[in-house]
Amino acid sequence: MKTEHQIDPDEPLLRALRKWEVSEPLPPRFREQVWQRIARAEMPSQEMVWARLSRLIEAALPRPRFAIPYLAALLLLGVVAGSWAAQIRTSRLDATLSSRYLQSLDPFASVTTPP
Amino acid sequence: MKKGGIILLLGVLLCAGTFAGFYYAGTSCCRGLMKESQPELAWLKKEFNLSDAEFKRVTELHAAYLPQCAERCRRLDELNTELHHLLSVTNTLTPEIQALLTERAKTRSDCEAEMLKHFLEVSRTMPLEQSRRYLAWAEQQTVLRPQSMEQSHHEAQPAPHHEHH
Repeated sequence: MKTEHQIDPDEPLLRALRKWEVSEPLPPRFREQVWQRIARAEMPSQEMVWARLSRLIEAALPRPRFAIPYLAALLLLGVVAGSWAAQIRTSRLDATLSSRYLQSLDPFASVTTPP
Repeated sequence: MKKGGIILLLGVLLCAGTFAGFYYAGTSCCRGLMKESQPELAWLKKEFNLSDAEFKRVTELHAAYLPQCAERCRRLDELNTELHHLLSVTNTLTPEIQALLTERAKTRSDCEAEMLKHFLEVSRTMPLEQSRRYLAWAEQQTVLRPQSMEQSHHEAQPAPHHEHH
């Protein structure tokens, strides 16, 4: 434990620093550039992200408790998306064919626009 | 490739395969309809659950209606051309123009009557419930819909240069 009588070995340095005055002006946007460098340093690189992701996949997916829900979720996604896309295609074709049927019968079909 | 990567890839393939399978199965009726010689009539059969006998009758009615309809359309085109010609040479309502307008209105009215007659004939080939649905749909989707022209007239009114006749 330090006491008042003990001499701090850094004291001369601290004294010198206190006396030191910077006379040179800072370059323009110095502060902003410093913050940008800090932000860049803190940001993980893309390679790091991929490496982490790859590690995560290799660690988690071989385990059945992750693999089964993952495969089940993608299976469900395929079912839902496939059925939905088919439904849209069928509805469009229905609309087109019903319109073609009416146009073949109704000479005024082009001026008739249902609400 | 490591085990995790294989499972990842397997999941993506599974998703793509299921998507393709369900899409293919879900659109099989569409492909069937488009392969028919008259897809619009095949659609009518599917939409109103027609039996083969009903469908045969509807196809016959359709085939009989089309030439008559084409003839009426040709007549309407003739009248329109004639009217256009008369309107281009005069700026008054001559008795000839008046007669032409009357004839065109009569031809249009005949068209609508024949179309309604056709819809009624087709509807009679269907079971009662489908018949009602067909007639309601046909009326709603065609010029037979009540006040469709009046509606379009009202919609046109806010136009800046519209003149009320």
